[in-house]
Amino acid sequence: MATTTRPDTRGEDLDELDLYTIPIHSSWFSWDDIHDTERVALREFFDGSSISRTPKIYKDYRDFIINRYREDASRRLTFTEVRKALVGDVSLLHKVFLFLEKWGLINFAAPPGRGAGGVGEGDDDDGGGARRSRVAVEDGAPVGVRVVAVPNSGRPMTLPTPAVGKHDGRKGSTAGQFRLPSLASYSDVFAGLMKQKGLVCGSCRGTCDESGCYEYTKGEFNICANCYNNGNCGENKSLDDFEFKEGKGNSASHAATWTEAETQLLLESILKHGDDWDLVAQDVKTKTKLDCILKLIELPFGEFMLGYTNRNGRDCNVDGNANNVSQVQSATSELPPETKTMEQANDQTEEIEPNQINDVLNEGPPLKKKRVASLSDGGSSLMKQVSLMSALVSPNIASAATESAVSAICNETFCPREIFYGSNSHVSNGSSVPAMNHLGRDIENGETEMKDEVPPAITDAQGPLPTEGHMPLQVRAATATALGVAAARAKLLADQEDREIEHLVASMIETQMKKVHDKIKYFEHLEHIMEKEYAEMDDLKGLVVSERINILQKALSAGISRWRDQFSLKPLTGS
Amino acid sequence: MPMKPLPSSSSRVPVKFKIPTADNLVPIRLDIEIDGQRYRDAFTWNPSDPDSEVVVFAKRTVKDLKLPPAFITQIAQSIQSQLADFRSYEGQDMFAGEKIVPIKLDMRVNHTLVRDQFLWDLNNFESDPEEFARTFCRDMDIQDPEVGPAIAFAIREQLYEIAIQNVTSARESRISKKGRRGFEYVPASKAGGISLDLVKYFGQKNSVVRKRKDWDAFEPIVDILSSEEVDALEVREKKNTR
Repeated sequence: MATTTRPDTRGEDLDELDLYTIPIHSSWFSWDDIHDTERVALREFFDGSSISRTPKIYKDYRDFIINRYREDASRRLTFTEVRKALVGDVSLLHKVFLFLEKWGLINFAAPPGRGAGGVGEGDDDDGGGARRSRVAVEDGAPVGVRVVAVPNSGRPMTLPTPAVGKHDGRKGSTAGQFRLPSLASYSDVFAGLMKQKGLVCGSCRGTCDESGCYEYTKGEFNICANCYNNGNCGENKSLDDFEFKEGKGNSASHAATWTEAETQLLLESILKHGDDWDLVAQDVKTKTKLDCILKLIELPFGEFMLGYTNRNGRDCNVDGNANNVSQVQSATSELPPETKTMEQANDQTEEIEPNQINDVLNEGPPLKKKRVASLSDGGSSLMKQVSLMSALVSPNIASAATESAVSAICNETFCPREIFYGSNSHVSNGSSVPAMNHLGRDIENGETEMKDEVPPAITDAQGPLPTEGHMPLQVRAATATALGVAAARAKLLADQEDREIEHLVASMIETQMKKVHDKIKYFEHLEHIMEKEYAEMDDLKGLVVSERINILQKALSAGISRWRDQFSLKPLTGS
Repeated sequence: MPMKPLPSSSSRVPVKFKIPTADNLVPIRLDIEIDGQRYRDAFTWNPSDPDSEVVVFAKRTVKDLKLPPAFITQIAQSIQSQLADFRSYEGQDMFAGEKIVPIKLDMRVNHTLVRDQFLWDLNNFESDPEEFARTFCRDMDIQDPEVGPAIAFAIREQLYEIAIQNVTSARESRISKKGRRGFEYVPASKAGGISLDLVKYFGQKNSVVRKRKDWDAFEPIVDILSSEEVDALEVREKKNTR
C-alpha cells in the first residue's frame, strides 16, 4: 500500500517512499480516515439509507481506485477499468470516480484525456491510435532522473520551483520543476553589482567615473579628478606625482556600457565590414575602434569568429602568431547566429584531429594558438564546436562534461558573486591576452573536462570586464552547448543500447531453444525406456498366467475340485 | 460503526412510476415495414412533450429519410401507442425497493459490437444512462458516434422493462398480504430474483472488490467488425426476426 503523500516532498525521503503528487487543496486526504469533504460530497454512503452504501464500502471503493491508479501513475486511469472490478451501481461508482479525479487524488500526473463528447464532434481525423499514445510534455526532469549538483555525489539538488499555487485541472507537473531563470531579470538583479566596478578614489572614497582619475606613479593609489583639482591627494603625496589616466575612466565607462544592442550592432557590422575597424566603429557609434576590437576578443568565441572567416575554405594549418592584434586584423569574421549542420563539423573533424592529438600538454604559445585556431575551424557556430568536441572525446567524458555543464548552469544562478569576486584579480588592463591564455589553457585541460572550460572561460572572459552586459548571451551559449552535446551523445548511446538489447534477446532465444530441444530428447528417451518396460511387463504377465494355469492343472489332476483358500480347504481335507 | 436502523417504511412505500433515471425519457422502438421498405429506429422520447410533436416528428423523419408518405401515419401511431403504454403505468405505484440489477449489453451498431454487463441501482433516481454511455465511448475510444446513444437506449429499455415489472409486482404485493416480512427479502423473491442479494454482496464480511478472475467477466468487450462480418450478421438477424 502506498505510503502517505505530501504535495511538496523533496529529496530527503526520495529513496524510501513512493511519492505521488496531489494538489495542496487535497491535503486533507488520509488513508485511514474519511474526511468531511468526502462525507459531504458523497453523502449517499453516510446516511445509512442502504445496506449497499456504507462508509466501509465507500472506503473500499476509494482505496481500490486510488491504488489502481498508483500502479502506474503516468497513465490515465479510466472509469471503465475500475468499474469492472467493483460491485455496485455504476452511476454511484462514477460519482466516486469523478470526485477523486476532481480532487486530484487520481489522474493527477496523467496526461489529459479526450474531452467529453469528443466522439461526436468530427475529430475522426485525429487518428484513433494517436489518442492512446499521446505525447506527454512534462515540466522538469523526467521521472527517474535526478538532477545533482555535483556528478556522482548522489545528492539531489533543490531547484527553484515556482510557487505551488492552484493546480486545478493542471496536469503534467511533477515535483521538482527545473526552470532556468529568465536572463533579463538576472541582469536586473545584478546590474547594481555591475555598476560598482569602478575604481575607488583613495581620498574621497567616491568612485572614479567618467571624469577620469589620477594614478599615483610611485605606488598603488588613485584619486578622482575632483580630488586632484581640490588638492586632496592623501598624506605624503604630491600632486605632481599623479598621472592622469583618462583611458581607464573612459574605458571603464565604455566597458560598462556595452549593452546587448551594442553588441548586436557590433557583430552585425563585423559581418558586413569584416575587419575594417573604422567602418565598424562608425556603425557602433558609441565605441571607439579599439573598444570594438577589444570587445570582440572579449566575447567568448570572438577570436574564433575572426579565425574562422580568415580560414574559410582553407586548410587549418596555422602558423601561430603570438600577436593577437595582428591576428585580429588579419581576419575577417562571419558570425552565423544559427547552428550549422553537423556534416560540416565532421568534415573538419578529420583535419583537426591530428592536430589535436599531437598537441598534448604543450604550453608554448604558438601551439596554444594552433590549438585554439584549429578549434575555431570547427566553425564559429556553437553547435559545430560542440559536435566537434564531442566527436573527439569518449562518451564517458562527454557525459561527465554534460553533467557538469548542467550543474554549472544551475550553479551560475546561485553563486554568480563568487564568479565576479573571484575573477576580480583579473582586472589588469583589460587586454585580451590573459583572456586568451585562460581560454587556451582551459582547452588543453579540457581533454578530460570539456564543458568546464566553457563556463570558466566565460567567467574568465567576464573577469577582465565583468561590467559588460553580455552575460545573457554567454549563458545561452553555455546552455546551447550543453544541450547539443547531451543530444549527440544520447543518440549514440541509445543506438548502442539498441544493438546490445537485440544481441541479448537473440542469445536468450537461442538458449531457450536449446533447452526445449534437450527436453524433447530426454522425453523421447524416456518413452523408449517405457516401451521396453511395457514389453517386459507383458512377458512377465504371460509367464505368471501360464504358471497359474500349470498349478491349476496339477491341482485338478490331483483331485482337488476347486481352488480355495486355506480355511475352506480344511473341511475338504477333514482336518 | 453500527448501521442506523434502515428506514424500512420509506422503501416499502411505493413510489410513483417513473424511469429511474435523472431524465424521465421513454425508450421508443420502431420497426415498420411497408411495401418491402423497412424502417427501424430506436430513440428516447420525452413524455412531457405535447402529442402534436409526434406527428411533426414523423413527418420530418419521413422527409429526411425519403420514405414514402405512408410511413408517417404508421410512425406516429407506433410512437403514440408506446407513449400510451408508458402513461398507463405512470399513475400507478412502483415498488422502488432496494434493487441493484445487472444490466447487460449485447448489441451491434454499424461496425461496432458491444458486450458488457454491469450493475445499476434502480433506486438511484439520479442515474444518467447518457453520461454512462459517454464515459464508455470515451474510455473505450469508440469512433462511431452512433454507439453512445445506442448504449444509452439499451440501458433505458432494460430499466423500463424492469420498472414495469416493478409495477406489476407492487400490484400483486398489494393484493397479497406481505406486511410482516422484512423488506430485503420481498423484492428478491417478487422480482424473479434478477436483482442482487444485497446482504451477500454488501454485507460486513464481504469485500466489494471483485476477485481478479471475475474482472474479465465484467469488462466491456468492444469489437470492430469488417464489412463482410457485418453483412453476415445482418442476414442472420433478418432471418431471426422474420
